[in-house]
Amino acid sequence: MKTLHVLSSSPFSDDRLSSCLRLLGNGDGLLLCGDATYAAQPGTSHAEALAALQGVALYALDEDIQARGLKPAADIQQVDYPGFVALACQFSKVNTWL
Amino acid sequence: MKFAIALFSPPSAPSSRRALRFAEAALQGGHQIVRLFFYADGVHSASGTIVSPQDETDVARQWREFVAGHGLDAVVCIAAALRRGVLDEQEARRYEREAANLPAPWVLSGLGQLHEAAQEADRLICFGGD
Amino acid sequence: MSQSLLVISRQAPWNGPGAREALDIALAGGAFDLPIGLLFLDDGVLQLAVGQAPQAVQQKDLTANLQALPMFGVEALYACAQSLAQRGLSDTALAVERLDSDGLRALIDRYDQVITL
Repeated sequence: MKTLHVLSSSPFSDDRLSSCLRLLGNGDGLLLCGDATYAAQPGTSHAEALAALQGVALYALDEDIQARGLKPAADIQQVDYPGFVALACQFSKVNTWL
Repeated sequence: MKFAIALFSPPSAPSSRRALRFAEAALQGGHQIVRLFFYADGVHSASGTIVSPQDETDVARQWREFVAGHGLDAVVCIAAALRRGVLDEQEARRYEREAANLPAPWVLSGLGQLHEAAQEADRLICFGGD
Repeated sequence: MSQSLLVISRQAPWNGPGAREALDIALAGGAFDLPIGLLFLDDGVLQLAVGQAPQAVQQKDLTANLQALPMFGVEALYACAQSLAQRGLSDTALAVERLDSDGLRALIDRYDQVITL
C-alpha cells in the first residue's frame, strides 16, 4: 500500500519535510506544492536530501515552481492539476502534512 | 474514482485555492466528489461575508459557485464553525448572535459526515497547513 | 468492511485548537465503530506529557479526553520514539506503543487512509 505524501510549507521554516523524510517508504511518492517547492531549489540541503532518496518518486506542482522561478532537478517530475488527480488515484492513499 | 475532500485552511491560504483547483480537475477528469468537508480553519473558506479586493482571487466565492454549480454535498463542521464565528441563520438565532455568515449551499453538520464520506470514497484527500 | 483511518497528531496541546481537533476526529471515528489508529508525532507527543496544568492558561484538560480514547474503541495508540526523546519525555500520561522510523513506516502502510493534523 503505497502512499503519496504531500507537503506545502517551506522546509526552511518548519520540520514537516524532515519528519516526512523519516517516514517515506520504498515505493511511496512525495509531491511538493506551495512553499514546499523551495525544497527543490538546487544548492540547498533539502534538494540534496531529496536527491539522496531511494525508491521514492518525486513530484512538484508546476504552478508553484513557475510562480517562484525555481529550476528543480530533472528527477522531480512537474505535474499540473490533472496530473495531481492522477497521482492521487495511482497511489493507494494520500497523506497531506497539514 | 470517488474522492472525499477535506479542507482545513481559510480562503487566504494557498491550500484553499489549491483544493478548489484539485476538486475542479477531479470532476473534469470524470471522477466523483462524494463530499467536501470543511474543518478547523477551513470553515472560513465557506464564509459568505468575505470581501475580496476587486483585483484579487475571491476563493470563498469561487468555492460557493463551484459547489452550487455542480450540486455537490458540502459540509462545514458545526463545532469548528461555531468556535470560529461561522454561523448559519439557525445557529445565529440559537446563540443570539448578530449575524449569520454561512450561506447556502453550505450545511453545518458533525464529524460523522467526514467519516461517512471517507468510508464511501476511494480516496480521502486533505488540504491545509499553509 | 470498513476502511481504516490513521490520525496523525502533530501539534502541541496549548497552541490553539489543533490538538483537540485531531483528537475529535479520532473520537468521532471510534464512536462510529470505525477502525481508527492515533499516532502522536513531532510536537504532538507533547500532548502526552505528565503533570500538565492547563487551567493555568485557562484551557480545558486534554489528558482526560485522551484517556477516553479506549472507551470510544480507539485502542491503537502510538507515539514516535524519536519525537518523545527529542522533547525529553520518558513517561507518558497515556499508554502508547512507541515506534521507531521503521515502525512508523510500517504503521502508515497498514492503514487505508491517513489524516495528518
